[in-house]
Amino acid sequence: MKLRNWQLPLAIVLFMTGILLVSALNALQSEAEPEPRTKSKAESLIAMIETQEKELKDYEKTIDARRDSLAKHQKDIATGKIEVQTLQYELDQLKTLSGVSDVEGKGITVFLDDNNKGYEIAKSKAPEQAKPEDFLIHDKHLLYIVYELRVGGAEAISINGQRVVCSSDIRCMGTTIGVNTSAIGPPFVIKAIGDPDRMSKVLETDTSQYNILKMAGYPVRIEKQKKITIGSYKGSYQFSYTEPKGEQ
Amino acid sequence: MWVPILGLVIGLVIGSVLNVPIPGAYAKYLSIAVLAALDSAFGGVKSIFDEKFNAAILLTGFFTNALLAALLAYLGDQLGVDLYLAAVFAFGVRLFQNLAIIRRELLSRWIDNRKIAKAKRDNHD
Repeated sequence: MKLRNWQLPLAIVLFMTGILLVSALNALQSEAEPEPRTKSKAESLIAMIETQEKELKDYEKTIDARRDSLAKHQKDIATGKIEVQTLQYELDQLKTLSGVSDVEGKGITVFLDDNNKGYEIAKSKAPEQAKPEDFLIHDKHLLYIVYELRVGGAEAISINGQRVVCSSDIRCMGTTIGVNTSAIGPPFVIKAIGDPDRMSKVLETDTSQYNILKMAGYPVRIEKQKKITIGSYKGSYQFSYTEPKGEQ
Repeated sequence: MWVPILGLVIGLVIGSVLNVPIPGAYAKYLSIAVLAALDSAFGGVKSIFDEKFNAAILLTGFFTNALLAALLAYLGDQLGVDLYLAAVFAFGVRLFQNLAIIRRELLSRWIDNRKIAKAKRDNHD
């Protein structure tokens, strides 16, 4: 009987205690512990993300800078290439101009020889008056013809295989003619690259040296050719006194 | 004898089934209330052994103790004093005292029962 008396109230108290205990444990587990943890975790994650975003931005900036410099370098290379190309082009032109390279193109070939026939005739007519040197091709004839060819727009000239360049000398060497310090003799073959019609027109004008020789009876003739090859200048350019003027 | 234990088990089950969401800030007060409730329960058990059990005292003590303990802890928090420690101390000391009394009572009863049983056996012989 006494047992029943205390059983129910105690059961109620313990029942409430149980509910309170579980609630307290739940509150401690779900709220007191996880919340701050998640909070701090979230905060640290946010901080981490922020720092990483900052880093990312820095990297992006560096990428931009690198890209800019890369573009600049590529531009430099491109301009360098263009410069090299123009330089190469200039070099080729200068090589052609200076005659250090073999060239080919359309042009004319002028054949000249001593007027042996005329000399024979003159000798038979008046042996005392006939002078052999009056019937020879002289250095001056070649010089004039070369200059007449240049007037006609010749871009490359050679005499008996000797390339006539800007420093070439054409002079009398007794019985032979010196071109580029090498002795050559008749018959002379002058090759010139250029406009064939223009050059032959200049050569055939009344006052030209070629026409004078022709009129005098020298065996001369002009041959227009579609393609002639002129060898390179075998000598060397040496400047002992000339220096390029400094641009500085 | 099994009814109070059954009550405890049902309370635990209902508590975990309901799973009332309680903010973490109140967890401390709840713990104090739990302590007070346990104190009341053990006090009740002790009173049974003392044969001074009173349902009204037990129930009022249970509710007032739990509420007052929680209130005291809250007040302490507002004042910036760890007043809940006082409640923990008071309830803790009483809990252990009551437990000791219960243990002793149970032990003495068990010994008495053995003595009685032995005497009965001797008498039979």
